[in-house]
Amino acid sequence: MKHLFDFKLGLITKTLSMFAAVLLLTITTSCEDEVYPVAGSFPDKTPPSAAFSATQGVGFDNEWKTFSFSNQSSSATDFSWDFGDGNSSTEFEPSNVYPGEGTFTVTLTATDKLSVSSTYSEDIVIVEPEAPSAVIPPILEAGFEDNSLPDGTGDGRDSWRLSGAGVIQITSSPVYNGSQAAKFPSAGDRAGYQALEVTPNSDYTLSYYYTMKTSGSGNITVWILPGEVTEFSQIDTSEAIASFVGTDQSDANTYVKVDLPFNTGANDKVAILITNEGVESRLDDVSISAD
Amino acid sequence: MKYLKCTLFVALVALVSSCESDYLEPVPTSAISSANYYTTPEEVETAVLNIYDGIQGVFDFGMDENRALQLEFYLTEMRSDNTRTKSSEGEAAQFESFAVEATNGIVANYYQSYYNVIYRANVALENITAAGDMADKLEAEAKFLRAYAYFNLVRLFGDIPLVDRVISPADKATPYARVSTSQIYDLIVSDLTVAAAGLDNSSSYRASKAAAQTLLAKVHLNKGNYLEAQQLCEAVVGSGNYSLEANFKDVFYNEGNDEVIFAVGYIGDSDESQNFSSEFLNAVGRTSGVNYVTQDAKAALDAKGGERTMYSYRIDSGQTTQNQVAKYIPNGDAALGIEATSSDPQKAGNDWVVLRYADVLLLHVEAILAGGNSTSSAAALSSFNAVRNRAGLADDSDSSITKQELMDERRVELAFENHRLFDLMRMGAAQEVLSAFATSTGVSFTSSDLLLPIPQREINLSGGEMKQNPGY
Repeated sequence: MKHLFDFKLGLITKTLSMFAAVLLLTITTSCEDEVYPVAGSFPDKTPPSAAFSATQGVGFDNEWKTFSFSNQSSSATDFSWDFGDGNSSTEFEPSNVYPGEGTFTVTLTATDKLSVSSTYSEDIVIVEPEAPSAVIPPILEAGFEDNSLPDGTGDGRDSWRLSGAGVIQITSSPVYNGSQAAKFPSAGDRAGYQALEVTPNSDYTLSYYYTMKTSGSGNITVWILPGEVTEFSQIDTSEAIASFVGTDQSDANTYVKVDLPFNTGANDKVAILITNEGVESRLDDVSISAD
Repeated sequence: MKYLKCTLFVALVALVSSCESDYLEPVPTSAISSANYYTTPEEVETAVLNIYDGIQGVFDFGMDENRALQLEFYLTEMRSDNTRTKSSEGEAAQFESFAVEATNGIVANYYQSYYNVIYRANVALENITAAGDMADKLEAEAKFLRAYAYFNLVRLFGDIPLVDRVISPADKATPYARVSTSQIYDLIVSDLTVAAAGLDNSSSYRASKAAAQTLLAKVHLNKGNYLEAQQLCEAVVGSGNYSLEANFKDVFYNEGNDEVIFAVGYIGDSDESQNFSSEFLNAVGRTSGVNYVTQDAKAALDAKGGERTMYSYRIDSGQTTQNQVAKYIPNGDAALGIEATSSDPQKAGNDWVVLRYADVLLLHVEAILAGGNSTSSAAALSSFNAVRNRAGLADDSDSSITKQELMDERRVELAFENHRLFDLMRMGAAQEVLSAFATSTGVSFTSSDLLLPIPQREINLSGGEMKQNPGY
């Protein structure tokens, strides 16, 4: 390697005397270039190719209006950016603050020292990011009323069925609201189950009303379970995200309100499970809100 | 400390395996060949151990050896705002000035070493049926290691050749055909899914379920699949097999501790030793000092490190204006209460921790943050504060973790563990942070510096078929 270098150095020294003449020749020929191509000239073999990508800023204030550009051009030395909002730049990798929402056509012209250029354009669509808010899932047949499904059908409990568990009964008295409520006989062999699509890591509150007969002892429990199952046997209540054990037996005709707060954690689906033990119980008007 | 037996002969033998079946084939009676070797589960296991051996590498300084893991700090920490050379000399200094050349020998060694690891994994997978009852477990291990190799390569080089089987020397296309990163990620996800299903958490020196889950969580974070990443982190936490060491120092100097999910083991003064530890110390290692701590990283650790700071960097006693990495000291430090891991520091026994529990906890926060600006989720705060409390720091002051706070915490918790560059890239902050850092040190950074050049040797061998990354 060193030997090669010495050899080159010697060559350069020897040819140094010829250098001035060559330079002169180049200058005189360059004006002819514009009119007639010199014999032996050839087109730019490595023409520029313009390309870029854009990244939107992240932050609390107006960072979303700032775009930084990553230059992916090749074989180019000079760059000219038109950001589509009246601003421009000749930096290699500039950033631009846009006035606000809208679609802007960004154009990059990449040029080499032979004045060959390449142009690339891309539309960037700027939308102000919305503050992330939790999705409020619809609860079907939330009041256990007949024909209350979105298509106007249903027996008030179709959305609460789960294979392997007895379907809930419907009662017309007492109810909290409307003309029907869910009824769980004292045998405790019924379950209401409905899966909901939710936003992960969000706080929700499930609200409902329940009442119990005054004799005997037992409870009506509402569980929030992670994910969705298709068989009652797959349920493991030890995994429940939240639960409320209702034991208010003071008046069989007066409904008591329960607010059950929970956080969805690493789940984009949770399920409501309603079961009872020992005492005939009623439940009505289930609703959900995001905190 | 456990170690992996060197089984290089397996790889050598496998290389000459492409004999045509038309020839007379007397089975050799006095030598082992790949055609007749892999017949028992124990023999297939040697093929799997051979993959670990390839990652562990050799302590030799020769650049034809498998050295990727021991050289990784050049490509990651020294190409970030964390470390630099002491004297800005030679090709080692190309990294800190973001002026890596396609002829860089360290980059070439890294690329070649990890494709050798992939080759070793493919040999094991090709013979996996001979493993009988052990086949599922050994397949899971081989796939974890192959995914680990590809995950490193795809993040550093972008589009790379996809080699998912043993190819013959006659195949001139596959080794040079760059495929899209999404195809590489498909293989990584598929391999890690198999690995997570087929392994348990019985060892931190061999692949485990938690190691596969953690790596897969990282892959999902790279792809923006936050929910999957969160579920995987919670599975690792929920396994109950791992915990934070009470004392930060013990993470590195009490080897085989409960915080380590996956580590590459080394034994001092043996053929299973490493020499990166000594390279971090001028006058101990062979170089003039590499992976020295930048002022930027020192300032971050001083401000936010808490009890971690003194075990993250120390003043170079030979030149007190310089700071050295303190996580892998080979020859002991009486003031810090650290014992030597070998009598010859260039044959050190310090393990390399690839994945640990604190990393998982901070990945968990990142998954819940889900690309947003901040989170006040109780689950995220619990993970975040556990890491802070161990370092002797109070809970997050306003119970809301911002992206910046998370990046700062990861930087000081995982300093000099080869995470910083990947973290900046994954969290979309690399261009901004590294541009500003380059300006402060008087060098130039452009977005094309995020990917390393494909080694020029590969491009030459491909006969021009293989195209270089932009900017090189």
